[in-house]
Amino acid sequence: MANAIGTETGAMVATPAAEPGAGLSNARAILLPIGLALLALGLWQAACVIGHIPPVILPSPLSTFRYIGERWDILLTHAIPTTVESALGFVLASVLGIALAVVITYSRLAREALYPNLVFFQLIPKIALAPLFIIWLGIGTQSRVAFSVFIAFFPVVIATSAGFASVDRGMLRLCRSLTATERQIFLHVRFPAALPYIFSGMKVAVTLAIIGVIIGEFITAQAGLGYLIIFATARADTEVSMAAIVVLCLCGLLLYGLVALGEAVANRIYAAEAS
Amino acid sequence: MAALAPSPAAAAAGTKSAASAAMPLVRIADVEKVYGGRQGPVRAVASASLDVARGEFVSLLGPSGCGKSTLLMMIAGLERPTRGAISLDGSPVVTPRRDIGIIFQDATLLPWKTVEENVLFPVRILKLPVERYRERARELLAMVGLDGFLRHKPAQLSGGMRQRVAICRALIHDPAILLMDEPFSALDAITRDQMNVTLSEIMERTGKTVIFVTHSIREAAFLSDRVVVMGGRPSRIILDEPMPFGRPRRLDIEETPAFGQMVRRLRLTIEEGHGGAMSGRTGGGE
Ligand SMILES: Nc1ncnc2c1ncn2[C@@H]1O[C@H](COP(=O)(O)OP(=O)(O)OP(=O)(O)O)[C@@H](O)[C@H]1O
Ligand SMILES: [Mg+2]
Repeated sequence: MANAIGTETGAMVATPAAEPGAGLSNARAILLPIGLALLALGLWQAACVIGHIPPVILPSPLSTFRYIGERWDILLTHAIPTTVESALGFVLASVLGIALAVVITYSRLAREALYPNLVFFQLIPKIALAPLFIIWLGIGTQSRVAFSVFIAFFPVVIATSAGFASVDRGMLRLCRSLTATERQIFLHVRFPAALPYIFSGMKVAVTLAIIGVIIGEFITAQAGLGYLIIFATARADTEVSMAAIVVLCLCGLLLYGLVALGEAVANRIYAAEAS
Repeated sequence: MAALAPSPAAAAAGTKSAASAAMPLVRIADVEKVYGGRQGPVRAVASASLDVARGEFVSLLGPSGCGKSTLLMMIAGLERPTRGAISLDGSPVVTPRRDIGIIFQDATLLPWKTVEENVLFPVRILKLPVERYRERARELLAMVGLDGFLRHKPAQLSGGMRQRVAICRALIHDPAILLMDEPFSALDAITRDQMNVTLSEIMERTGKTVIFVTHSIREAAFLSDRVVVMGGRPSRIILDEPMPFGRPRRLDIEETPAFGQMVRRLRLTIEEGHGGAMSGRTGGGE
Protein backbone atom coordinates (compact mmCIF):
# COMPACT_ATOMS: atom_id res chain seq x y z
CA MET A 1 0.00 0.00 0.00
CA ALA A 2 2.69 2.44 1.04
CA ASN A 3 4.36 1.72 -2.26
CA ALA A 4 1.39 2.04 -4.52
CA ILE A 5 0.22 5.24 -2.94
CA GLY A 6 3.68 6.70 -2.43
CA THR A 7 4.39 6.91 -6.13
CA GLU A 8 1.29 8.82 -7.00
CA THR A 9 1.60 11.09 -3.99
CA GLY A 10 5.19 11.91 -4.86
CA ALA A 11 4.27 12.82 -8.38
CA MET A 12 1.50 15.11 -7.24
CA VAL A 13 3.37 17.18 -4.68
CA ALA A 14 5.13 19.35 -7.24
CA THR A 15 2.03 20.45 -9.12
CA PRO A 16 0.34 23.05 -6.90
CA ALA A 17 3.56 25.09 -6.49
CA ALA A 18 3.70 28.37 -8.39
CA GLU A 19 5.83 28.44 -11.51
CA PRO A 20 8.97 30.52 -11.40
CA GLY A 21 8.59 33.77 -13.29
CA ALA A 22 4.92 34.06 -12.31
CA GLY A 23 5.69 37.33 -10.50
CA LEU A 24 7.21 38.76 -13.63
CA SER A 25 4.26 37.92 -15.83
CA ASN A 26 1.95 39.40 -13.16
CA ALA A 27 3.80 42.70 -13.35
CA ARG A 28 3.52 42.55 -17.10
CA ALA A 29 -0.22 42.00 -16.89
CA ILE A 30 -0.56 45.18 -14.84
CA LEU A 31 2.00 47.39 -16.55
CA LEU A 32 0.98 46.75 -20.15
CA PRO A 33 -2.62 48.03 -19.96
CA ILE A 34 -1.60 50.98 -17.77
CA GLY A 35 1.14 51.85 -20.22
CA LEU A 36 -1.28 51.74 -23.14
CA ALA A 37 -3.78 53.94 -21.32
CA LEU A 38 -1.10 56.50 -20.48
CA LEU A 39 0.04 56.47 -24.10
CA ALA A 40 -3.52 57.17 -25.27
CA LEU A 41 -3.85 60.05 -22.78
CA GLY A 42 -0.51 61.42 -23.99
CA LEU A 43 -1.64 61.34 -27.63
CA TRP A 44 -4.92 62.99 -26.68
CA GLN A 45 -3.05 65.73 -24.82
CA ALA A 46 -0.65 66.19 -27.74
CA ALA A 47 -3.51 66.35 -30.21
CA CYS A 48 -5.25 69.06 -28.17
CA VAL A 49 -2.09 71.15 -27.79
CA ILE A 50 -0.50 70.68 -31.20
CA GLY A 51 -3.77 70.57 -33.14
CA HIS A 52 -5.16 73.63 -31.30
CA ILE A 53 -8.45 71.83 -30.68
CA PRO A 54 -10.73 74.25 -28.82
CA PRO A 55 -11.73 73.02 -25.33
CA VAL A 56 -15.41 73.29 -26.28
CA ILE A 57 -14.89 70.50 -28.77
CA LEU A 58 -12.43 68.40 -26.77
CA PRO A 59 -10.85 69.47 -23.48
CA SER A 60 -7.38 68.04 -22.94
CA PRO A 61 -6.76 65.45 -20.21
CA LEU A 62 -4.64 67.89 -18.23
CA SER A 63 -7.25 70.63 -18.23
CA THR A 64 -9.91 68.09 -17.28
CA PHE A 65 -7.84 66.88 -14.34
CA ARG A 66 -7.11 70.47 -13.39
CA TYR A 67 -10.83 71.20 -13.36
CA ILE A 68 -11.48 68.14 -11.22
CA GLY A 69 -8.78 69.26 -8.81
CA GLU A 70 -10.25 72.78 -8.55
CA ARG A 71 -13.97 72.00 -8.44
CA TRP A 72 -14.00 68.61 -6.71
CA ASP A 73 -16.54 69.96 -4.21
CA ILE A 74 -19.17 70.55 -6.91
CA LEU A 75 -18.38 67.26 -8.60
CA LEU A 76 -18.68 65.45 -5.29
CA THR A 77 -22.11 66.93 -4.50
CA HIS A 78 -23.29 65.56 -7.85
CA ALA A 79 -21.43 62.25 -7.56
CA ILE A 80 -23.03 61.31 -4.25
CA PRO A 81 -26.69 61.05 -5.37
CA THR A 82 -25.66 59.24 -8.55
CA THR A 83 -23.56 56.72 -6.66
CA VAL A 84 -26.11 56.18 -3.91
CA GLU A 85 -28.97 55.68 -6.35
CA SER A 86 -26.87 53.35 -8.51
CA ALA A 87 -25.85 51.32 -5.48
CA LEU A 88 -29.46 51.11 -4.35
CA GLY A 89 -30.61 50.08 -7.82
CA PHE A 90 -27.86 47.49 -8.00
CA VAL A 91 -28.60 45.98 -4.59
CA LEU A 92 -32.33 45.77 -5.30
CA ALA A 93 -31.66 44.31 -8.76
CA SER A 94 -29.39 41.67 -7.24
CA VAL A 95 -31.85 40.72 -4.51
CA LEU A 96 -34.74 40.61 -6.97
CA GLY A 97 -32.65 38.71 -9.53
CA ILE A 98 -31.48 36.06 -7.06
CA ALA A 99 -34.97 35.69 -5.59
CA LEU A 100 -36.48 35.20 -9.06
CA ALA A 101 -33.76 32.66 -9.86
CA VAL A 102 -34.64 30.72 -6.71
CA VAL A 103 -38.31 30.72 -7.72
CA ILE A 104 -37.45 29.66 -11.28
CA THR A 105 -35.21 26.88 -9.96
CA TYR A 106 -37.66 25.43 -7.48
CA SER A 107 -41.01 25.95 -9.15
CA ARG A 108 -41.61 24.29 -12.46
CA LEU A 109 -44.76 26.34 -12.96
CA ALA A 110 -42.85 29.57 -12.40
CA ARG A 111 -40.05 28.41 -14.67
CA GLU A 112 -42.39 27.59 -17.52
CA ALA A 113 -44.54 30.67 -17.11
CA LEU A 114 -41.93 33.25 -16.17
CA TYR A 115 -38.76 32.40 -17.99
CA PRO A 116 -39.93 32.89 -21.59
CA ASN A 117 -41.46 36.21 -20.58
CA LEU A 118 -38.24 37.33 -18.99
CA VAL A 119 -36.36 36.49 -22.15
CA PHE A 120 -38.94 38.31 -24.24
CA PHE A 121 -38.65 41.31 -21.95
CA GLN A 122 -34.95 41.32 -22.52
CA LEU A 123 -35.55 41.90 -26.23
CA ILE A 124 -37.25 45.25 -25.55
CA PRO A 125 -34.82 48.15 -25.85
CA LYS A 126 -35.54 49.02 -22.27
CA ILE A 127 -34.03 52.48 -22.41
CA ALA A 128 -37.06 53.48 -24.48
CA LEU A 129 -39.22 52.92 -21.40
CA ALA A 130 -37.38 55.42 -19.22
CA PRO A 131 -39.85 58.27 -19.78
CA LEU A 132 -42.72 55.99 -18.71
CA PHE A 133 -41.08 55.48 -15.34
CA ILE A 134 -41.26 59.22 -14.84
CA ILE A 135 -44.95 59.21 -15.63
CA TRP A 136 -45.52 56.34 -13.23
CA LEU A 137 -43.20 57.25 -10.39
CA GLY A 138 -42.53 60.95 -10.72
CA ILE A 139 -39.23 62.73 -11.00
CA GLY A 140 -37.77 61.69 -7.66
CA THR A 141 -35.20 59.13 -6.62
CA GLN A 142 -37.74 56.32 -6.73
CA SER A 143 -38.29 56.52 -10.49
CA ARG A 144 -34.54 56.51 -11.23
CA VAL A 145 -33.88 53.62 -8.84
CA ALA A 146 -36.84 51.67 -10.20
CA PHE A 147 -35.61 52.17 -13.76
CA SER A 148 -32.12 51.18 -12.72
CA VAL A 149 -33.47 47.96 -11.15
CA PHE A 150 -35.56 47.38 -14.26
CA ILE A 151 -32.59 47.32 -16.60
CA ALA A 152 -30.09 45.69 -14.22
CA PHE A 153 -31.89 42.67 -12.72
CA PHE A 154 -32.09 40.54 -15.84
CA PRO A 155 -28.46 39.40 -16.08
CA VAL A 156 -28.60 38.43 -12.40
CA VAL A 157 -31.66 36.21 -12.95
CA ILE A 158 -30.13 34.49 -15.96
CA ALA A 159 -26.68 33.98 -14.46
CA THR A 160 -28.01 32.86 -11.09
CA SER A 161 -30.47 30.33 -12.46
CA ALA A 162 -27.73 28.97 -14.72
CA GLY A 163 -25.58 28.70 -11.60
CA PHE A 164 -28.25 26.85 -9.63
CA ALA A 165 -28.71 24.48 -12.54
CA SER A 166 -24.97 23.93 -12.92
CA VAL A 167 -24.82 21.61 -9.92
CA ASP A 168 -23.59 18.17 -10.81
CA ARG A 169 -26.40 15.59 -10.86
CA GLY A 170 -24.18 13.10 -9.08
CA MET A 171 -23.71 15.58 -6.27
CA LEU A 172 -27.47 15.99 -5.93
CA ARG A 173 -27.91 12.23 -5.86
CA LEU A 174 -25.26 11.98 -3.17
CA CYS A 175 -27.10 14.60 -1.12
CA ARG A 176 -30.38 12.76 -1.49
CA SER A 177 -28.73 9.50 -0.47
CA LEU A 178 -27.58 11.27 2.70
CA THR A 179 -31.18 12.30 3.44
CA ALA A 180 -30.32 15.96 2.88
CA THR A 181 -33.26 18.37 2.87
CA GLU A 182 -33.83 20.80 -0.02
CA ARG A 183 -32.76 23.56 2.31
CA GLN A 184 -29.49 21.79 3.12
CA ILE A 185 -28.84 21.10 -0.55
CA PHE A 186 -29.41 24.76 -1.32
CA LEU A 187 -27.19 26.07 1.45
CA HIS A 188 -24.37 23.53 1.14
CA VAL A 189 -24.31 22.84 -2.57
CA ARG A 190 -26.47 24.90 -4.91
CA PHE A 191 -25.78 28.35 -3.58
CA PRO A 192 -22.00 28.02 -3.23
CA ALA A 193 -21.80 26.32 -6.63
CA ALA A 194 -23.73 29.24 -8.14
CA LEU A 195 -21.57 31.95 -6.55
CA PRO A 196 -19.23 32.46 -9.52
CA TYR A 197 -22.30 32.74 -11.78
CA ILE A 198 -24.07 35.09 -9.41
CA PHE A 199 -21.10 37.41 -9.21
CA SER A 200 -20.56 37.45 -12.95
CA GLY A 201 -24.23 38.45 -13.30
CA MET A 202 -23.80 41.08 -10.61
CA LYS A 203 -20.76 42.55 -12.35
CA VAL A 204 -22.85 43.14 -15.45
CA ALA A 205 -25.71 44.43 -13.30
CA VAL A 206 -23.60 47.02 -11.55
CA THR A 207 -22.74 48.82 -14.80
CA LEU A 208 -26.33 48.56 -16.02
CA ALA A 209 -27.57 50.01 -12.71
CA ILE A 210 -25.37 53.07 -13.23
CA ILE A 211 -26.58 53.45 -16.80
CA GLY A 212 -30.17 53.35 -15.54
CA VAL A 213 -29.58 56.12 -13.02
CA ILE A 214 -27.70 58.31 -15.52
CA ILE A 215 -30.50 58.02 -18.04
CA GLY A 216 -32.97 58.94 -15.33
CA GLU A 217 -30.87 61.94 -14.48
CA PHE A 218 -30.64 62.98 -18.14
CA ILE A 219 -34.40 63.20 -18.20
CA THR A 220 -35.42 64.52 -14.83
CA ALA A 221 -32.90 65.30 -12.20
CA GLN A 222 -31.85 68.54 -10.56
CA ALA A 223 -28.70 66.90 -9.27
CA GLY A 224 -26.36 64.03 -10.09
CA LEU A 225 -23.60 63.50 -12.61
CA GLY A 226 -26.07 62.76 -15.40
CA TYR A 227 -27.74 66.09 -14.74
CA LEU A 228 -24.36 67.83 -14.63
CA ILE A 229 -23.34 66.33 -17.98
CA ILE A 230 -26.56 67.40 -19.70
CA PHE A 231 -26.57 70.83 -18.04
CA ALA A 232 -22.92 71.56 -18.88
CA THR A 233 -23.22 70.28 -22.44
CA ALA A 234 -26.23 72.51 -23.05
CA ARG A 235 -24.09 75.49 -22.05
CA ALA A 236 -21.16 74.28 -24.18
CA ASP A 237 -19.18 73.77 -20.97
CA THR A 238 -17.50 70.68 -22.35
CA GLU A 239 -14.75 70.73 -19.76
CA VAL A 240 -17.33 70.29 -17.00
CA SER A 241 -19.00 67.45 -18.89
CA MET A 242 -15.70 65.74 -19.38
CA ALA A 243 -14.82 66.13 -15.71
CA ALA A 244 -18.24 64.72 -14.73
CA ILE A 245 -17.68 61.75 -17.04
CA VAL A 246 -14.29 61.05 -15.47
CA VAL A 247 -15.83 61.19 -11.99
CA LEU A 248 -18.62 58.89 -13.19
CA CYS A 249 -16.00 56.38 -14.32
CA LEU A 250 -14.45 56.52 -10.85
CA CYS A 251 -17.86 55.92 -9.24
CA GLY A 252 -18.38 52.94 -11.54
CA LEU A 253 -14.96 51.58 -10.64
CA LEU A 254 -15.77 52.00 -6.96
CA LEU A 255 -19.02 50.04 -7.22
CA TYR A 256 -17.42 47.36 -9.38
CA GLY A 257 -14.57 47.10 -6.88
CA LEU A 258 -17.06 46.58 -4.06
CA VAL A 259 -18.69 43.72 -5.99
CA ALA A 260 -15.29 42.13 -6.63
CA LEU A 261 -14.49 42.53 -2.94
CA GLY A 262 -17.81 40.91 -2.06
CA GLU A 263 -16.93 38.01 -4.30
CA ALA A 264 -13.56 37.53 -2.62
CA VAL A 265 -15.22 37.60 0.81
CA ALA A 266 -17.93 35.15 -0.23
CA ASN A 267 -15.37 32.75 -1.69
CA ARG A 268 -13.37 32.92 1.50
CA ILE A 269 -16.41 32.21 3.63
CA TYR A 270 -17.41 29.19 1.57
CA ALA A 271 -13.89 27.80 1.34
CA ALA A 272 -13.59 28.05 5.11
CA GLU A 273 -14.60 25.37 7.55
CA ALA A 274 -18.05 26.66 8.38
CA SER A 275 -21.30 26.15 6.47
CA MET B 1 -1.41 -0.74 10.88
CA ALA B 2 -3.39 0.70 13.73
CA ALA B 3 -7.07 -0.09 13.97
CA LEU B 4 -9.34 2.71 12.88
CA ALA B 5 -11.00 4.65 15.67
CA PRO B 6 -14.70 3.87 15.81
CA SER B 7 -17.00 6.65 14.76
CA PRO B 8 -18.33 8.69 17.70
CA ALA B 9 -21.82 7.45 16.90
CA ALA B 10 -20.82 3.80 17.00
CA ALA B 11 -18.97 4.32 20.26
CA ALA B 12 -22.03 5.95 21.77
CA ALA B 13 -24.49 3.36 20.52
CA GLY B 14 -22.45 0.45 21.83
CA THR B 15 -22.19 -2.85 19.98
CA LYS B 16 -25.00 -3.77 17.64
CA SER B 17 -27.26 -6.60 18.76
CA ALA B 18 -25.58 -9.97 18.36
CA ALA B 19 -28.83 -11.55 17.25
CA SER B 20 -28.88 -9.60 13.99
CA ALA B 21 -25.43 -10.92 13.10
CA ALA B 22 -26.85 -14.18 11.80
CA MET B 23 -29.36 -12.42 9.56
CA PRO B 24 -28.23 -11.10 6.17
CA LEU B 25 -27.53 -7.40 6.27
CA VAL B 26 -29.21 -6.84 2.92
CA ARG B 27 -32.13 -8.91 1.73
CA ILE B 28 -33.39 -8.34 -1.80
CA ALA B 29 -36.54 -10.36 -2.39
CA ASP B 30 -37.82 -10.78 -5.95
CA VAL B 31 -37.33 -7.18 -6.92
CA GLU B 32 -38.48 -5.77 -10.25
CA LYS B 33 -37.99 -2.27 -11.62
CA VAL B 34 -39.86 -0.81 -14.55
CA TYR B 35 -39.10 2.76 -15.53
CA GLY B 36 -41.88 4.75 -17.12
CA GLY B 37 -40.06 6.23 -20.09
CA ARG B 38 -41.25 8.38 -22.97
CA GLN B 39 -40.89 5.55 -25.47
CA GLY B 40 -42.83 3.17 -23.27
CA PRO B 41 -41.91 1.42 -20.05
CA VAL B 42 -38.38 0.06 -19.66
CA ARG B 43 -37.98 -3.05 -17.57
CA ALA B 44 -34.53 -2.43 -16.12
CA VAL B 45 -34.58 -5.36 -13.69
CA ALA B 46 -37.00 -8.23 -14.25
CA SER B 47 -36.36 -10.18 -11.07
CA ALA B 48 -33.55 -10.12 -8.58
CA SER B 49 -33.20 -11.92 -5.28
CA LEU B 50 -30.03 -11.61 -3.31
CA ASP B 51 -28.84 -11.78 0.28
CA VAL B 52 -25.67 -10.07 1.40
CA ALA B 53 -24.16 -11.04 4.71
CA ARG B 54 -22.54 -8.63 7.13
CA GLY B 55 -18.92 -8.03 6.16
CA GLU B 56 -19.36 -9.53 2.72
CA PHE B 57 -18.00 -7.96 -0.48
CA VAL B 58 -20.39 -8.62 -3.35
CA SER B 59 -19.90 -7.44 -6.92
CA LEU B 60 -22.67 -6.90 -9.45
CA LEU B 61 -21.24 -7.66 -12.85
CA GLY B 62 -22.85 -7.48 -16.26
CA PRO B 63 -23.01 -5.71 -19.59
CA SER B 64 -24.06 -2.10 -19.97
CA GLY B 65 -27.78 -1.52 -19.45
CA CYS B 66 -28.43 -4.73 -17.53
CA GLY B 67 -29.75 -2.84 -14.51
CA LYS B 68 -26.78 -2.90 -12.15
CA SER B 69 -27.04 0.77 -11.24
CA THR B 70 -30.81 0.45 -10.97
CA LEU B 71 -30.47 -2.36 -8.43
CA LEU B 72 -27.88 -0.38 -6.49
CA MET B 73 -30.06 2.75 -6.47
CA MET B 74 -32.94 0.69 -5.12
CA ILE B 75 -30.74 -0.60 -2.30
CA ALA B 76 -29.79 3.01 -1.59
CA GLY B 77 -33.46 3.99 -1.44
CA LEU B 78 -32.99 6.39 -4.35
CA GLU B 79 -35.34 4.35 -6.58
CA ARG B 80 -38.43 2.43 -5.50
CA PRO B 81 -38.82 -1.16 -6.71
CA THR B 82 -41.89 -1.75 -8.88
CA ARG B 83 -42.36 -5.11 -7.17
CA GLY B 84 -40.63 -6.96 -4.35
CA ALA B 85 -38.90 -5.58 -1.29
CA ILE B 86 -35.46 -4.69 -0.05
CA SER B 87 -34.49 -4.64 3.58
CA LEU B 88 -31.33 -3.40 5.18
CA ASP B 89 -30.37 -4.41 8.69
CA GLY B 90 -33.85 -5.79 9.27
CA SER B 91 -35.83 -2.74 8.21
CA PRO B 92 -37.35 -2.09 4.79
CA VAL B 93 -35.67 0.39 2.46
CA VAL B 94 -38.23 2.83 1.10
CA THR B 95 -36.36 6.13 1.13
CA PRO B 96 -32.69 7.10 1.44
CA ARG B 97 -31.33 6.43 4.88
CA ARG B 98 -28.39 7.45 7.00
CA ASP B 99 -26.73 4.08 7.34
CA ILE B 100 -25.44 3.77 3.79
CA GLY B 101 -22.38 5.23 2.10
CA ILE B 102 -22.37 5.78 -1.67
CA ILE B 103 -19.58 6.19 -4.18
CA PHE B 104 -20.22 6.98 -7.83
CA GLN B 105 -18.10 6.85 -10.94
CA ASP B 106 -17.20 10.52 -10.51
CA ALA B 107 -15.90 11.57 -7.13
CA THR B 108 -18.42 14.49 -7.03
CA LEU B 109 -16.42 16.50 -4.52
CA LEU B 110 -17.28 20.10 -3.70
CA PRO B 111 -14.57 22.03 -5.56
CA TRP B 112 -14.56 24.97 -3.16
CA LYS B 113 -13.94 22.82 -0.10
CA THR B 114 -10.71 21.28 1.13
CA VAL B 115 -10.19 17.52 1.09
CA GLU B 116 -10.83 17.32 4.83
CA GLU B 117 -14.04 19.34 4.60
CA ASN B 118 -15.26 17.21 1.71
CA VAL B 119 -14.81 14.12 3.86
CA LEU B 120 -16.78 15.83 6.64
CA PHE B 121 -19.64 16.73 4.29
CA PRO B 122 -21.96 13.86 5.37
CA VAL B 123 -21.32 14.76 9.01
CA ARG B 124 -22.64 18.27 8.35
CA ILE B 125 -25.63 17.03 6.38
CA LEU B 126 -26.49 14.49 9.07
CA LYS B 127 -26.04 17.22 11.72
CA LEU B 128 -23.50 15.18 13.67
CA PRO B 129 -20.91 16.95 15.83
CA VAL B 130 -18.24 17.95 13.29
CA GLU B 131 -15.37 18.41 15.72
CA ARG B 132 -15.79 14.91 17.07
CA TYR B 133 -15.53 13.46 13.58
CA ARG B 134 -12.51 15.48 12.51
CA GLU B 135 -10.05 12.99 13.95
CA ARG B 136 -11.81 10.13 12.21
CA ALA B 137 -11.69 12.05 8.91
CA ARG B 138 -7.94 12.43 9.28
CA GLU B 139 -7.50 8.76 10.12
CA LEU B 140 -9.50 7.71 7.09
CA LEU B 141 -7.46 10.01 4.86
CA ALA B 142 -4.25 8.63 6.37
CA MET B 143 -5.51 5.12 5.67
CA VAL B 144 -5.74 5.90 1.95
CA GLY B 145 -2.40 7.72 1.95
CA LEU B 146 -3.77 11.25 1.75
CA ASP B 147 -2.62 12.55 5.14
CA GLY B 148 -0.51 15.20 3.44
CA PHE B 149 -3.45 16.58 1.49
CA LEU B 150 -5.97 17.67 4.11
CA ARG B 151 -5.86 21.31 3.01
CA HIS B 152 -5.74 20.67 -0.72
CA LYS B 153 -8.63 21.46 -3.02
CA PRO B 154 -10.02 18.68 -5.25
CA ALA B 155 -8.66 20.37 -8.38
CA GLN B 156 -5.14 19.85 -7.04
CA LEU B 157 -5.60 16.07 -6.86
CA SER B 158 -5.38 13.32 -9.45
CA GLY B 159 -8.46 11.27 -10.36
CA GLY B 160 -7.35 8.37 -8.18
CA MET B 161 -6.76 10.65 -5.22
CA ARG B 162 -10.18 12.27 -5.66
CA GLN B 163 -11.82 8.86 -5.68
CA ARG B 164 -9.98 7.99 -2.46
CA VAL B 165 -11.39 11.16 -0.89
CA ALA B 166 -14.85 9.99 -2.00
CA ILE B 167 -14.25 6.64 -0.29
CA CYS B 168 -13.31 8.38 2.95
CA ARG B 169 -16.40 10.57 2.64
CA ALA B 170 -18.59 7.49 2.22
CA LEU B 171 -17.04 5.91 5.33
CA ILE B 172 -17.01 8.95 7.62
CA HIS B 173 -20.38 8.35 9.29
CA ASP B 174 -19.63 4.65 9.66
CA PRO B 175 -22.48 3.39 7.47
CA ALA B 176 -23.61 -0.23 7.69
CA ILE B 177 -22.94 -0.73 3.99
CA LEU B 178 -20.93 0.81 1.19
CA LEU B 179 -22.56 1.00 -2.25
CA MET B 180 -20.12 1.62 -5.09
CA ASP B 181 -21.21 2.23 -8.68
CA GLU B 182 -18.26 1.73 -11.03
CA PRO B 183 -16.07 3.81 -8.76
CA PHE B 184 -12.86 3.20 -10.67
CA SER B 185 -14.00 3.00 -14.26
CA ALA B 186 -12.92 6.56 -15.03
CA LEU B 187 -9.36 5.77 -13.94
CA ASP B 188 -6.42 4.51 -15.99
CA ALA B 189 -5.49 0.84 -15.69
CA ILE B 190 -2.49 1.34 -13.40
CA THR B 191 -4.31 3.64 -10.99
CA ARG B 192 -7.25 1.27 -11.08
CA ASP B 193 -5.07 -1.64 -9.95
CA GLN B 194 -3.71 0.53 -7.13
CA MET B 195 -7.22 1.51 -6.10
CA ASN B 196 -8.31 -2.12 -6.06
CA VAL B 197 -5.48 -2.97 -3.69
CA THR B 198 -6.27 0.07 -1.54
CA LEU B 199 -9.94 -0.86 -1.41
CA SER B 200 -9.25 -4.45 -0.48
CA GLU B 201 -6.98 -3.19 2.33
CA ILE B 202 -9.68 -0.86 3.56
CA MET B 203 -12.16 -3.71 3.63
CA GLU B 204 -9.77 -5.96 5.49
CA ARG B 205 -9.36 -3.25 8.09
CA THR B 206 -12.88 -1.94 8.47
CA GLY B 207 -14.79 -5.14 7.79
CA LYS B 208 -17.43 -3.12 5.92
CA THR B 209 -20.11 -4.72 3.82
CA VAL B 210 -19.79 -3.65 0.20
CA ILE B 211 -21.92 -3.94 -2.92
CA PHE B 212 -19.76 -3.04 -5.86
CA VAL B 213 -20.96 -2.48 -9.43
CA THR B 214 -18.45 -3.00 -12.20
CA HIS B 215 -17.97 -3.85 -15.87
CA SER B 216 -14.61 -5.39 -15.21
CA ILE B 217 -14.55 -9.15 -14.69
CA ARG B 218 -11.03 -9.12 -13.25
CA GLU B 219 -11.86 -6.34 -10.85
CA ALA B 220 -14.96 -8.18 -9.62
CA ALA B 221 -13.07 -11.44 -9.17
CA PHE B 222 -10.17 -9.77 -7.40
CA LEU B 223 -12.21 -7.76 -4.92
CA SER B 224 -15.22 -9.92 -4.12
CA ASP B 225 -16.26 -12.65 -1.78
CA ARG B 226 -19.10 -13.27 -4.22
CA VAL B 227 -19.73 -12.16 -7.79
CA VAL B 228 -23.32 -11.77 -8.95
CA VAL B 229 -23.71 -11.70 -12.73
CA MET B 230 -26.71 -9.91 -14.19
CA GLY B 231 -27.86 -10.28 -17.76
CA GLY B 232 -30.40 -11.80 -20.07
CA ARG B 233 -33.45 -10.20 -21.53
CA PRO B 234 -35.28 -9.03 -19.54
CA SER B 235 -32.44 -8.66 -17.10
CA ARG B 236 -32.12 -10.90 -14.07
CA ILE B 237 -29.46 -12.49 -11.90
CA ILE B 238 -27.91 -15.32 -13.90
CA LEU B 239 -25.05 -16.37 -11.66
CA ASP B 240 -24.14 -16.01 -7.98
CA GLU B 241 -20.64 -17.34 -7.49
CA PRO B 242 -18.35 -17.33 -4.43
CA MET B 243 -14.73 -16.34 -5.11
CA PRO B 244 -12.55 -19.02 -3.56
CA PHE B 245 -9.48 -16.85 -3.00
CA GLY B 246 -8.03 -16.23 0.45
CA ARG B 247 -7.43 -12.89 2.11
CA PRO B 248 -5.46 -10.71 2.35
CA ARG B 249 -5.51 -10.48 -1.42
CA ARG B 250 -2.87 -8.76 -3.46
CA LEU B 251 -2.52 -8.39 -7.20
CA ASP B 252 -0.36 -11.52 -7.52
CA ILE B 253 -3.43 -13.77 -7.16
CA GLU B 254 -4.39 -12.59 -10.62
CA GLU B 255 -1.52 -14.69 -11.98
CA THR B 256 -2.78 -17.94 -10.44
CA PRO B 257 -4.51 -20.52 -12.68
CA ALA B 258 -7.54 -20.63 -10.35
CA PHE B 259 -8.07 -16.90 -10.89
CA GLY B 260 -7.73 -17.28 -14.65
CA GLN B 261 -10.30 -20.07 -14.66
CA MET B 262 -12.72 -18.04 -12.60
CA VAL B 263 -12.41 -15.02 -14.90
CA ARG B 264 -13.04 -17.27 -17.87
CA ARG B 265 -16.09 -18.81 -16.25
CA LEU B 266 -17.55 -15.40 -15.47
CA ARG B 267 -16.86 -14.18 -18.98
CA LEU B 268 -18.60 -17.16 -20.56
CA THR B 269 -21.62 -16.64 -18.31
CA ILE B 270 -21.84 -13.00 -19.31
CA GLU B 271 -21.58 -13.85 -23.00
CA GLU B 272 -24.27 -16.51 -22.68
CA GLY B 273 -26.66 -14.12 -20.98
CA HIS B 274 -25.84 -11.35 -23.39
CA GLY B 275 -27.98 -12.53 -26.28
CA GLY B 276 -27.47 -9.36 -28.28
CA ALA B 277 -29.99 -7.28 -26.36
CA MET B 278 -28.97 -4.70 -23.80
CA SER B 279 -32.26 -3.92 -22.18
CA GLY B 280 -35.60 -5.59 -21.82
CA ARG B 281 -38.75 -3.73 -22.84
CA THR B 282 -41.96 -4.98 -21.37
CA GLY B 283 -44.02 -6.56 -24.07
CA GLY B 284 -40.98 -6.97 -26.30
CA GLY B 285 -40.25 -10.36 -27.82
CA GLU B 286 -38.14 -12.69 -25.73
N1 LIG C 1 -34.21 7.02 -14.75
C1 LIG C 1 -34.45 6.17 -15.76
N2 LIG C 1 -35.54 6.32 -16.54
C2 LIG C 1 -35.80 5.46 -17.54
N3 LIG C 1 -35.02 4.43 -17.87
C3 LIG C 1 -33.90 4.22 -17.15
C4 LIG C 1 -33.56 5.09 -16.07
N4 LIG C 1 -32.38 4.66 -15.54
C5 LIG C 1 -32.04 3.58 -16.26
N5 LIG C 1 -32.93 3.31 -17.22
C6 LIG C 1 -32.88 2.18 -18.16
O1 LIG C 1 -32.81 1.01 -17.42
C7 LIG C 1 -31.91 0.10 -17.98
C8 LIG C 1 -30.86 -0.27 -16.97
O2 LIG C 1 -30.09 0.87 -16.67
P1 LIG C 1 -28.93 0.85 -15.58
O3 LIG C 1 -28.34 2.21 -15.56
O4 LIG C 1 -29.41 0.29 -14.32
O5 LIG C 1 -27.90 -0.17 -16.25
P2 LIG C 1 -26.40 -0.48 -15.84
O6 LIG C 1 -26.27 -1.94 -15.76
O7 LIG C 1 -26.00 0.29 -14.65
O8 LIG C 1 -25.63 0.03 -17.11
P3 LIG C 1 -24.17 0.68 -17.19
O9 LIG C 1 -23.23 -0.45 -17.00
O10 LIG C 1 -24.10 1.25 -18.56
O11 LIG C 1 -24.07 1.70 -16.11
C9 LIG C 1 -31.35 0.77 -19.22
O12 LIG C 1 -32.07 0.28 -20.33
C10 LIG C 1 -31.64 2.22 -19.00
O13 LIG C 1 -31.86 2.86 -20.23
MG1 LIG D 1 -24.60 1.88 -14.28
